Amino acid sequence: MNRQNFLGHLMLALALIALAAFAGQMRRWQHRSHAVLRGDRHTTIAPRRVEPTASAEVLVRFRPGTTVESMRSIAARLHDRLEDEIEAVDGLAVIEDEDGRTAEEVAAEYRSMPSLVEYAEPNFRINLDTDATAEPNHEHPDDPMFDEQWSLDNHGQNGGKTLADISAVRAWAKTTGSSEVVVAVIDSGVDYTHQDLMNNIWVRPPDVAQYTDDELGVIDDTYGFNAVSDNGDPMDQNGHGTHCAGIIGAEGGNHLGIAGVNWKVEIMPLKFIDASGSGTTKDAIKAINYVIDRKRAGVNVRIISASWGSTMYSKALEDVIREAGEEGILFIAASGNSSADADKSPHYPASYDLPNVISVAALNRQDELASFSNYGAKRVHIAAPGAEILSTWLNGDFREASGTSMATPEVAGVAALVLSAESELSMKELRERLLKSVDKLDSLSGKVSSGGRINAARAVGAE
Amino acid sequence: MALSKEDAVKRARADLAQRLGVSEDNIEEDAVESADFPDMALGAPIEDEMSAQMIASGWRIRLKSSGQSYEYRANRDQLRLYNYKGANYRL
Repeated sequence: MNRQNFLGHLMLALALIALAAFAGQMRRWQHRSHAVLRGDRHTTIAPRRVEPTASAEVLVRFRPGTTVESMRSIAARLHDRLEDEIEAVDGLAVIEDEDGRTAEEVAAEYRSMPSLVEYAEPNFRINLDTDATAEPNHEHPDDPMFDEQWSLDNHGQNGGKTLADISAVRAWAKTTGSSEVVVAVIDSGVDYTHQDLMNNIWVRPPDVAQYTDDELGVIDDTYGFNAVSDNGDPMDQNGHGTHCAGIIGAEGGNHLGIAGVNWKVEIMPLKFIDASGSGTTKDAIKAINYVIDRKRAGVNVRIISASWGSTMYSKALEDVIREAGEEGILFIAASGNSSADADKSPHYPASYDLPNVISVAALNRQDELASFSNYGAKRVHIAAPGAEILSTWLNGDFREASGTSMATPEVAGVAALVLSAESELSMKELRERLLKSVDKLDSLSGKVSSGGRINAARAVGAE
Repeated sequence: MALSKEDAVKRARADLAQRLGVSEDNIEEDAVESADFPDMALGAPIEDEMSAQMIASGWRIRLKSSGQSYEYRANRDQLRLYNYKGANYRL
């Protein structure tokens, strides 16, 4: 091959490589844009990292009919600049801040003009991330059984109804939880050695003194409290408490088992239910008393999850739950599994008319009230998935279970997720947030006071 | 030790015979069927009992004596007499 031929072939090869690279990139762009247009929740564009743009930019959709001149004028009045009008969507524009505010602040300003603005949201830069230290993909945790967790991401699997879930995946774009938030699971204890739970189990901090009770003396409560045996070992011998704990906070993104509503959280295990699945009112009160004591000792325990109950009223149980409320602890309880109207046939503790109680009904994977679930237009407040829920079990196992027992920790988990993002919320504000963030469902009209299913994404402010 | 269905039926017959003050020969096994109960007290809570609100699988055991029907409920962890003279019993 002479020199001229060699150069010719080299130029041709370089041109072909450049063309192939361009075509490949075009396909990737097309793939991404189609995924976004379809709203496909199962298309992985990962790993990815989402961060605000350097100069504050906001996507604002003005009311239909707003002229470009009007948009420009409104923006100027707010010391912003109309950067671009998105012609494909009537009224949609990119607004750039010019006076040093954050994108959230700018968006809030536009949202405060509902007569002019339909919505406003910060513009985020989405980066493809290829390094090993990238944040986990919040769209789909790598927990191998996640696809079976319809309550977190219902895409119609096993005959379910698409989107009949708690919108966990969208919530995770904002927060996956925090080990600063402690949730007390008052139940049959928790298998705190379960591989998918052990990193999210509360351990008494060294600066918090051991639990001391006038009658029981000093108890080494390293992992919580056992009110059945009056000691510090809340190991589960039934499985129910371990199941509830996994719904709230099985470790997420750890290549193992399932994901909890919180990937990171602190589960405080408490045992008052025995191996057969029942306990006494007295032991329930002792367990709640322990939680109040730990709160007063400085532990950030803000939520009690109570997947149990009875039709028998106890004033003492009511009083101790009220006291927990005085300490700022939200008490989330199962409405009961008798297919009954709890307004007429109360089920305690869920039916106590206390400002810190939320009573939870159960839904199936079709977004219908589960056949077993209690309901009540006044005394049952919210619904959550509670049928065929996969979670952690004894001996490192995982299994499905059904009941308002399972719906309760879904709500407790969302409450913890909210606190991970807004730790300063009061108990009252947290309760209101949960009840006002629901997806209203026809199937729940007249059945629960909020009329809807809990929505984690809305509760944490991710939508 | 885990209770089998056969164990549960045997214990139920013995319990009913004792309550009624009759021989076990006078206790008839009407039906024994698998059932889902509303909670872990098998829908038969005793006084002052709080139960986990999880659907629990077990067996419904219907016995008869002198024309009267009696219902026991069991799973591998427990045996209960349901609504006997207006009350539940955990055996």
